[in-house]
This record gives sequence, C-alpha cells and structure tokens, in this order.
Amino acid sequence: AVRSPRPEAWGRAAASRGRRAARRLVLSPRRLAGPLPAGLAQWFPALEELDVSGTGLAELGAELLALPRLRTLLAKNNRLGGPGSLPKGLAQAPLGRSLRVLNLSGNRFAEVPPALLGLRGLQSLSLGGNRLHGIPPDIQELRSLEFLYLGGNFITSIPPELANLPSLSYLVLCDNKIQSIPPQLAQLHSLRSLSLHNNLLTYLPREILNLVHLEELSLRGNPLVVRFVRDLTYNPPSLQELAGRTIKTRNVPYAPSDLPENLVRYLSLASNCPNPKCGGVYFDSCVRQIKFVDFCGKYRLPLMHYLCSPECSSPCSSASQSSTSQSESDSEDEASVAARRMQKVLLG
Amino acid sequence: MNGNVLLTNALSFRYTRNLVDSGNGKFNLMILCWGEGHGSSIHDHTDSHCFMKILQGNLKETLFEWPEKKGNGEMVKKSERVLRENQCAYINDSIGLHRVENISHTESAVSLHLYSPPFDSCNTFDQRTGHKHKVKMTFYSKFGERTLCATAVPQENN
Repeated sequence: AVRSPRPEAWGRAAASRGRRAARRLVLSPRRLAGPLPAGLAQWFPALEELDVSGTGLAELGAELLALPRLRTLLAKNNRLGGPGSLPKGLAQAPLGRSLRVLNLSGNRFAEVPPALLGLRGLQSLSLGGNRLHGIPPDIQELRSLEFLYLGGNFITSIPPELANLPSLSYLVLCDNKIQSIPPQLAQLHSLRSLSLHNNLLTYLPREILNLVHLEELSLRGNPLVVRFVRDLTYNPPSLQELAGRTIKTRNVPYAPSDLPENLVRYLSLASNCPNPKCGGVYFDSCVRQIKFVDFCGKYRLPLMHYLCSPECSSPCSSASQSSTSQSESDSEDEASVAARRMQKVLLG
Repeated sequence: MNGNVLLTNALSFRYTRNLVDSGNGKFNLMILCWGEGHGSSIHDHTDSHCFMKILQGNLKETLFEWPEKKGNGEMVKKSERVLRENQCAYINDSIGLHRVENISHTESAVSLHLYSPPFDSCNTFDQRTGHKHKVKMTFYSKFGERTLCATAVPQENN
C-alpha cells in the first residue's frame, strides 16, 4: 500500500517502479488541497482500492475513470453531494465495470446520484448518513447489489422496485422516516438481514413472513402497534360487491353470455379471504386489520392483513368480543410458520 | 489486537464477539466489533461484573430500569451517554440493564469487555413490554480462530 503521499510528492512516488504496481492507495484522512490529480490513473494503473475518505473532496472527477482495475472506492466523510460529484460516463468507463464496493457515507447527497445507477457490477453500496429523502426506482438497475446501506437519512418510503434486486442480502434502512414497508419486499428471497430500527412504522405487511432466509430483523424505536386494532378503515361493501360475493360463495352458475362483459371481468377478480377458516371472498371492499404474530415465541409483531369483513378476524371472534383482546387463537398456525421461518428478531 | 483485522475479514450481519482470554475460568476478556448501525438488545449481566473500554469509534450506552415483575409496559430509560475512544464503563445487575449501540453510519467501533465471573447466557428484554427472554451467547472467534458454529445459534449481545 502507498500511504498518504503529499500532493507534491506524487510525481516522485509514481516514478518509482514499486509504486506503479501499487494496488491500494490510502489518502485518508489527510485533507487534500484540491481535487485528485488528473494523472492518477497513469501513475497508479494497478490500483484496486482507493480510500479518499475524510479528505474534504467536493467532487470525484474524470481522473478516476481510467482506473481499469479499481474494485473498491471509499469516499466517506467528504463534501460530495452537489451536481457533478461523480464523473460523467462513470458507468461506461473501465471503472464502471470493475467497481464492486462504493462507500459514499457521511456526505451531502440529497438524492442517490443517477451516475452510479449504471454500475451493474456493484456489490456493495453505502450512502449512510447523507440527506436522502427517497430511493429512486432505478435502484433496481444495480443488478449485482448484495449490500445496501441507507441508514441515517430522511427516507420516507421504499419503492417496490427495490425488491427487484435479485442478490440483495443485507439491507439497512435504520434511522430514517419510513412509515410503511411495501409488501413486494417479500420477494427479496436472498435477504438475510433487514435493519428497520428507528423509523415511523406502526405495522408490517404480513408478506414479511415469506422471507425464509431472513436471519435478522431489527425493529426497535418504531411506534409499532401494541394493542389489538380492529377496523382501521372499512367502507361497507357496495350492492355490486355483495352480489358478487354471493355468486362466488354460493357457486351460482353463470356464463359469459349471461352478463355484461364488465361484470364478467369483475367476477373474475374475486380475492380469497386469507383467513384460512373463512371461505369468503372480497372484491374492493376489505378490512385492513392488524394481527399479531409471535416470532420465536418471543415477540408479538403487528402484521397487516386484508380480510373480507370485520367479523372475519378470527374463528371465535364475534361482535361481542372485546376489541382490546390481544390473544388470537387463529394466530397459532401463523405463529408456528413464523417461528420456523424467522430465526431472529431484534426488538429489544 | 487490531480490531480492524476482525472487521474487514468478513461481513457479519451484526456485531461480533471475539474471545481473547478466558483467564483460568475467573473471567472472560473479549473484543466486540460493531459495524455501522449495529446494536445489542437490552440485556442483563447474570450477576457478573462487566467492564467495557472503547478501543475505536464510539458506542452509545442506554441504561434501563429493571421492568416490574408483571410489567407489561414500555421499559423506563434511566440515562444515556456516548462513550468515546479510550473511555471505560462498568455495569452489573444492581445498577440496571443496558443497550449498547454503534449509532454511527460511517464508522465502525471496537470495544474491549471484561466479565467476571464469565457467563454464557443472559436475558434480553423487549423495550416495548419488558418481557424477558433467556439467550445463550456465542463467540464469532476464540483466541484468533473463527468458531465454526457461530451462525447456528443466534449471537445475542455483550
């Protein structure tokens, strides 16, 4: 490794044969007087890792583009974030193909820089401790991403496109302003660790139980619903819905010639009530309800369910049952599934 | 021991506990390596003395009161502080419970822990309810060697 050469000595360092073969260059944490020199790729053509963290840089320029072997770029704690912080043509350059690890934490990015979304080989990206208010749907372009750290920003919501990252194993979203998790995140089959602590979550989508490889889930510091909540919102079903439900549940026979085309289509959209003990269906009118699931016999997590009616919350529930009941017998099936699948929950 | 060596060797999903010395059975001395955002559960110390020194970075310690016997409410925070490099802290069960976290999103942290007598299980607590749960504690490495079964049993805390 070459350690912190003074800018005026770089020419001398590059001239020495030993230095030309350098694979790792650490400039951190010395403050640099100006931007990185233009001759960087010429002087250190074999460079695989470059650490410019804490050097005060306001931009990373074209001098990086010609580093054909660079795999790791660490640029934490700088002044990056304005337009032109990353060089144009980043994804198309040799650097764009070789880069595997990019750490831009502790900078001033207000949005995920579009320039880096073309880095199809990138495996690890950190933008922790910046000023992000959201995640662009095009994050799905980072096809090789395994590790994504976005903790400590101002993110309010998660785009469902994040679930299209096939290799994502480690997702950190702690210390943000997230109010809900899109159910599509359950498609992240490779996810091993999900960090959601210190956000604004009141419940989780029930699909989270589908993340079979999830080993860790941190949820502390969220205003999670603790007591049973009935009927968050429920608009009574329309006459059309009631008729549709009757046709479906009573198996009333009909042929496409019997009904206008729009009603035939409507009838095909019936969803089954997820309550396994109810054979009901619903169309548009459903109840969003919080149901508690025990994980590892340890914690009760509120998951959001869609049920066909307020009466459908549990097999032994009725209108007379206390609305503050916390134990639900029909959550046992769910709980044993959950306990098997979710090995560890960090709620503390 | 250079904590950086332990940190850069493997991407662990959470902080790692690395045993340095088991002191003739009278104490355990270990190094904990905390990645960005890593934190422990709220836990007790099984009637042992616990000393902690920050070797690198910063760790936030939040102290909690023991929950009521039949408690079913939010646990009560007593105090919190950020421990800086080279600072030391001490806790035992008569002082209370605590949670330790690396709240930095840019820096990892390394801490040195001394427990006497040694213990391999403790209770973790749900902050929202005070409900406690006994867990076994495991080591990511012992005396510089990676332990093989570390991922089979969930590591819980320091």
